[in-house]
Amino acid sequence: MNDVTNSKLKKLKQYAFDKDSTLKFIEFLMQKTEVIAPQNKGQASYSYEIVKDAKDVVLDYPRTIQPLKKFFLPPVEDLLAFDLNANTYQEEKIEAKDKIFFGIHNYELEGIKRLDYSFKKGNPESNYLTRREKSMFIGISYEPDSYHFSESVGIPADKIDGFCLFFDKISNKSDYMVFVVDENGQKLIDSFGKVNEVKSKAEITAKKFQNKVKLHYNRIPQVFDHVYKSKVWDKVAERCVGCGTCNLLCATCYCFDVRDEIEINAKDGKRTRFWDGCMLNTFAEVAGGENFREKLNQRTRHRLYRKFKYITDHSGELHCIGCGRCSKYCPADISIVEIINSLIDDYTTQQKKN
Amino acid sequence: MSKPKVAFFDFTGCEGCQLNKLNFENELLDLLELVDIVEFREAMDDKAEEYDIAFIEGSISSPSCVERIHDIRRRSKILVALGQCAVSGGINAIKNLHPMDEVQETVYGKDKYLFPSIPAQPVSAIVKVDYEVRGCPMSAPEYLHVFKSLVLGRKPEVIDHSVCVECKLRENECVLDKGMFCLGPITRGGCGAICPTNGQYCIGCRGPVSNINKNGAVEMLKKHGFSVNEALKRMKMFSANELDKKIEWGR
Ligand code: SF4
Ligand code: SF4
Ligand code: SF4
Ligand code: SF4
Repeated sequence: MNDVTNSKLKKLKQYAFDKDSTLKFIEFLMQKTEVIAPQNKGQASYSYEIVKDAKDVVLDYPRTIQPLKKFFLPPVEDLLAFDLNANTYQEEKIEAKDKIFFGIHNYELEGIKRLDYSFKKGNPESNYLTRREKSMFIGISYEPDSYHFSESVGIPADKIDGFCLFFDKISNKSDYMVFVVDENGQKLIDSFGKVNEVKSKAEITAKKFQNKVKLHYNRIPQVFDHVYKSKVWDKVAERCVGCGTCNLLCATCYCFDVRDEIEINAKDGKRTRFWDGCMLNTFAEVAGGENFREKLNQRTRHRLYRKFKYITDHSGELHCIGCGRCSKYCPADISIVEIINSLIDDYTTQQKKN
Repeated sequence: MSKPKVAFFDFTGCEGCQLNKLNFENELLDLLELVDIVEFREAMDDKAEEYDIAFIEGSISSPSCVERIHDIRRRSKILVALGQCAVSGGINAIKNLHPMDEVQETVYGKDKYLFPSIPAQPVSAIVKVDYEVRGCPMSAPEYLHVFKSLVLGRKPEVIDHSVCVECKLRENECVLDKGMFCLGPITRGGCGAICPTNGQYCIGCRGPVSNINKNGAVEMLKKHGFSVNEALKRMKMFSANELDKKIEWGR
């Protein structure tokens, strides 16, 4: 992976974009291919949508409801159609299609990298991987709100590898300093042509995160070695209502459930899959109706161990990217950072005792 | 193979479920071709009749209902509770929260002794129920799914996740973010989150998920600005029987 560190950042070519050239640039991209970008949703929410009019694109937004995974692992997806009489089936055809994702926050792209890892490992998930091909990402900086904590999980504001271009907002203006991260980005800028290179050594503006984990991120998995029996899980379970929102909207959760539905003619049917999650009742149910993670404290524990321990042991990376969706949208106001910090307290007390 | 014999029986309910069945006539007509409807609402004289599938609507709320449901159960291979009244007692069960005498007096006045009544019970409180179609009115797609599955000899899918799941699958803006309250987090899905999808909050008409955290739910509603009493009232509207036990916390 080509990791762009701060010292390398200074060597990246930079271009100045104002509001008008940004709009024109989106229009230019739309002529080339499908563009997906954040747009308004409802009264005060945002979602990634295919851009029909460049003016609909929202550049300042805290986060979208669903994460970017919805384009690669759709919430509801038909997998195949079958014919019971003929005993045959037809898989849905998925084709790789060029698309440009514009206005993406850096943690979101990190989420996609985590999913790439999960879906390439073991049995590669071909539907996801095919959709994932030919995608280009253009990043944008953001003001962390009280739920973001990406810096605490190792994703500071200047982590931009994987993007082809990165739009860094110049404070209090609608102007951007655009960093060219790779050759694809350079090609886009060159063929767009309406902007001038700036000979500056500007760095990506550092951001203040209000929401923070108490320990350095590379120590979090270690904490999880010692808190399996912590009382914190019971405390959280008193308030958790098991709605599953924290799974469904998580940028790195990838579980799904598969259902078959047969038509009235008793012959045709289709197989569909849906996002699912470990907080839900039917998830851990095994044949025979037994549920091996029946209690909400066990489920929350499992959810967090999936983010900070189990997969991390193999991939070497935290599988939480600090988007804050699980906490922002939790109807019971349960905050993942508060859970981690309570676990850290437990852990440090233990360490002091021993 | 002869067509499965299907019967419908009506107990105490508002017939909203009946009306809802008519809302998707086309698919239903295809389905009805595959079955033999032997009884619709009114019991026939021939008590010896047996059914492959009996659909029960309405709650059990009088002594004669109890007798009748036992009889139907004896004669049915599969028994399905149709709509929230049959599944949980539904909105009828609100009366259970008040002294029975008072309720009868309010409804029948001095004639109350002519109409013996018992607390509104779900069908499952009296006899074994094999499958449920939840909702007030019942969810038509779910009804179709259960009906179809049973006719085809398959096990219907039992949904036990929250309405929020279906709301999130559709990427609806959460009504909590608009300052409304919502019972979606503790209510069983299966309706496709139809109310939040249309800008309304969920009033919990499908009853709670199976392992509801009642205390957590009260705490959640308190966060939405409700008193404990108001929270309980909202939660019990469709689920008095399911929730009446053990909600003490926060009082
Ligand atoms: S979103 Fe909150 S209440 Fe819902 S399952 Fe997750 S932690 Fe529990
Ligand atoms: S666990 Fe929460 S903060 Fe972390 S990636 Fe998932 S939704 Fe985002
Ligand atoms: S609107 Fe209601 S059902 Fe939908 S996500 Fe919000 S709380 Fe859940
Ligand atoms: S959203 Fe809630 S109130 Fe509306 S149909 Fe579904 S369960 Fe009933």
